[in-house]
Amino acid sequence: MAASRSCLEPAFFLVCAFSIIWASAAQAKTTTIDDSGTQALEPSVSMRWQTSTPSRKGGANLMIGTTTLRVRLNVTPWLHRACRIYLDFPAQRPGAITTSWVTQGRFMPGQVHSGNRVLIYSGPIATPFLEDVMKFQFSLDGSLISRATPVTFHFEMDED
Amino acid sequence: MHAPHCGNRLRRAFIGVALFGALPGSVSAFTATLTPVAPQTVYLQVGVGSFTGDYINGGQPQNNTTINTVSATVAAAAVGNGTAQAMTTNSSATQSFFDGFTFCSVPGQVYIGGFYRTTGANTSAALVTAAVPAALTNATGSTIPFSKISWTSSGNADAGAEPFPSGTFANGAMQNVGSMGSNSWNESCLTFSYANNTVPAAGTFTGVVLYTLSSP
Repeated sequence: MAASRSCLEPAFFLVCAFSIIWASAAQAKTTTIDDSGTQALEPSVSMRWQTSTPSRKGGANLMIGTTTLRVRLNVTPWLHRACRIYLDFPAQRPGAITTSWVTQGRFMPGQVHSGNRVLIYSGPIATPFLEDVMKFQFSLDGSLISRATPVTFHFEMDED
Repeated sequence: MHAPHCGNRLRRAFIGVALFGALPGSVSAFTATLTPVAPQTVYLQVGVGSFTGDYINGGQPQNNTTINTVSATVAAAAVGNGTAQAMTTNSSATQSFFDGFTFCSVPGQVYIGGFYRTTGANTSAALVTAAVPAALTNATGSTIPFSKISWTSSGNADAGAEPFPSGTFANGAMQNVGSMGSNSWNESCLTFSYANNTVPAAGTFTGVVLYTLSSP
């Protein structure tokens, strides 16, 4: 019996340890926000060379384009709660893309590389919708793009 | 016996509906379509050219319709003696419009350079061709084959292969004289010479070679 008890004890502590880790991870709840009310002021983003002529050794192939969005996020489910909102820009074709943006003040300006997300709002949710006009600038290497290419991003809510 | 069980099922169903009710009505991701606009640009300069300033200072390419000349005057005593005659140009282009670097020397060299801008990963090189007449002619119709004119290629502080390599004109041909990899600046200085190994009729012989840059 004594031998059996000593075998059980490590198993018990192992279960406890897993339980603690699981509980900690479960606290961070991320939800995609309904942004169906968002409108683009331009139908597509016209990508142009950042510099009209290339460098002597090649490179200098950056293409940039801007677009303006009237962002409207439905944050009704989080009304009267403190939350953090992120702009999530998933890794996607055609490859590495960077986008930066300026706002009119409701959200924070910033920059994100594809495959990452960045905080754009932190604080209490006092209204059912959060709105702002965001002017985005996309940039990517011209060797990655030769035709119209859709890229997607979305807004995520982290609840405190 | 069965009533409590059904009640349990109903309660679960109700909780399920309540949870769905808390979700936003329509979750979506925003899509922006990135569209390359007029991405292809070509620039070729043979002899003098025009930029609004050096490129690294924001200069932009301009049109320049100047036709430069390359010439040699062979002394009567030297005509046809087999000693190549250096040719000189009226071009004043010595500096690269890329950065203002003095790349060529005049009157001994003709600047040739440019670039080819395009998008996408699989891009072929742009070709520079020369439309070469069969011969230079004088006022009485005598001729000198264009193949008597050659050039060597170099550039101040240059090392390695030139984008516009040394060569000799091919009579009456559309001749490849160089290529440009996409999205890089390409330039060379051409030093022309006349072979002077035949004795043509006296006179002034002229001909025009037209250089063309063709993108894929």
